[in-house]
Amino acid sequence: MGGLQNSTSVITSSKRDFRKSRFRKLLRNREYRYAVLFLAPALLFLMIFIYLPTLVAFVIAFFHYHLGSSQQQFAGISNFRDALSLNVFQKSILNSILFAAMQVPAILVLSICVALLINHSSRYYNFIRTLILLPYATPAVGTAIGWLWIFNPTYGLANGVLHWLGLPTSQWLQSPTMALPSIAIYSVWHGVGFDVVIVLSALGTLPRAAVEAAIVDGASAWTRFWKITFPLISPTVFFLLIVTTIGSLQSFSQIYALSGGSGGPEYATTTTLLLIYETAFKYNHLSYGSAMAIFLVIIILLFTLIQRWASKRYVYYQ
Amino acid sequence: MKTHISPALRAVFALLVGLAFLLPLYFTLVTSLDTKADIFTFPPHLTFDWQWSVYAKAWSMFRWPMYFANTLLIAGVTIVLALTTSVLAAYALSFVRFRGRTFIFSLILLVLMIPNEAQLIPNYLTLAVVHLTDTYWAQILPYGASVFGIFLLRQFFLSFPKDYWDSVRIDGGGHLQFLWHVVLPQSRPILFTIGLYIFIGSWNSLMWPLMVTQSHHVQPVEVALARFLTGNSVLWRRLSAASVFTTLPVVILFLVFQRYIIRGISRGEGIQG
Repeated sequence: MGGLQNSTSVITSSKRDFRKSRFRKLLRNREYRYAVLFLAPALLFLMIFIYLPTLVAFVIAFFHYHLGSSQQQFAGISNFRDALSLNVFQKSILNSILFAAMQVPAILVLSICVALLINHSSRYYNFIRTLILLPYATPAVGTAIGWLWIFNPTYGLANGVLHWLGLPTSQWLQSPTMALPSIAIYSVWHGVGFDVVIVLSALGTLPRAAVEAAIVDGASAWTRFWKITFPLISPTVFFLLIVTTIGSLQSFSQIYALSGGSGGPEYATTTTLLLIYETAFKYNHLSYGSAMAIFLVIIILLFTLIQRWASKRYVYYQ
Repeated sequence: MKTHISPALRAVFALLVGLAFLLPLYFTLVTSLDTKADIFTFPPHLTFDWQWSVYAKAWSMFRWPMYFANTLLIAGVTIVLALTTSVLAAYALSFVRFRGRTFIFSLILLVLMIPNEAQLIPNYLTLAVVHLTDTYWAQILPYGASVFGIFLLRQFFLSFPKDYWDSVRIDGGGHLQFLWHVVLPQSRPILFTIGLYIFIGSWNSLMWPLMVTQSHHVQPVEVALARFLTGNSVLWRRLSAASVFTTLPVVILFLVFQRYIIRGISRGEGIQG
């Protein structure tokens, strides 16, 4: 481009004038002024609190950053390396994955069963849907207190039911093996309503003709479900699988509340997000916490990308 | 195999499932109202003793009115701020014609791809640098724009008949008149849905307030309740009472306006946050 610069200078300058005038014209253009004016507030917030911080998170993770200090020491990948070799961090990733592996299948199966059960548009069934969705709106700490008492090894309802059924009782939240499953049980209770509502809306779009034809043909409910209903709602189920998994990896409140803010017993309920919170905000290791956060973000991002990719291919929107 | 469940059986079974979901809340209420002797029984006691005095004790142990006021203030300002920015942005993305419109919209949707765990520590730093940690603003500003709100509103705005805009223009009106006199009045239900979501999110948020605040006088109810819980794990009846009166407002709000919440879930399908 450089060699041509002289010979085309006339053209370039006129081009620049043209651009300049076009820019002026754009600004004078009322539609553009409205667009800029109306979009600026939202974009400003997103810029300050989402776009820039996402980039900054990566930068901090490569430093030994201390708030208030003027000299920040470059750390290379040592924060990442140290995090990966930390036993508690490894355990926290395992815990996060286990937590999702326990609650997500339970939520999906339960929400499909419940949605099929209450898939009627009457006031009565709407009322039941409301009851099932109610936990979704309740604050985790507030409802966790009730569940702490339910899981109480000596006087709790959970052991009461097991005892009544003649089954062996459990230490629940106080047992290193049962603590994480106990919180998963809480999360299923808290989150299943959301999935039920979405499965219901998918069931609402099923073509009635296909279902009725199958009934006429004498297909059993079981066959109808596996041959017609499930294939038709499977894009929704896949969507819920990913979204519920992402939500599970982002759980914090219920784990904080049900483990008494500790992640115990014996780190049994220390998920990655809880560890990031402790590292960065309790012990003030911001860079170290940032490196851990990036690992978590990458895991979540992977699921998000799968979902975006798949939804373009399978999910059908009207 | 011909499976045909009778409607009555199905209705009864559905009711049992619904009540099972209510049981933990019921159990909290029972515990809060039990006598001391009755909570320590096995199998658990499931009828009310009506010991309201426990509520008075739990209420007087903490400065609850202050925490409620903090939560309401934070939620209120967040709702006004986020609704304003969302309405303006969604309006520009649906009614104003300009080049790069789809690009800006994808830029906004990109936010849904980025998990918010990425921004926790940098946002804390930003607020620390401008000396806003430990204030109400620290709990409001990061939620100043709602991508969920922009998305939902844009979807709604795009369904507006074109005639509305044409008739406003013929009468000599511009975007502001159209927005104020036509779009906003018709958007009330959807604005209410988004506001409700912001309110519930604000009421239930724990992690961010825990991170950016230390002073009790700016903290919301959930943080206070978490402190009450971790500090008094043996006062079961008082804890349950506190749990009831801090959860009740959201439960009532939900029961009254649940159709708006269901609408939000169904319409916003494919979107989180």
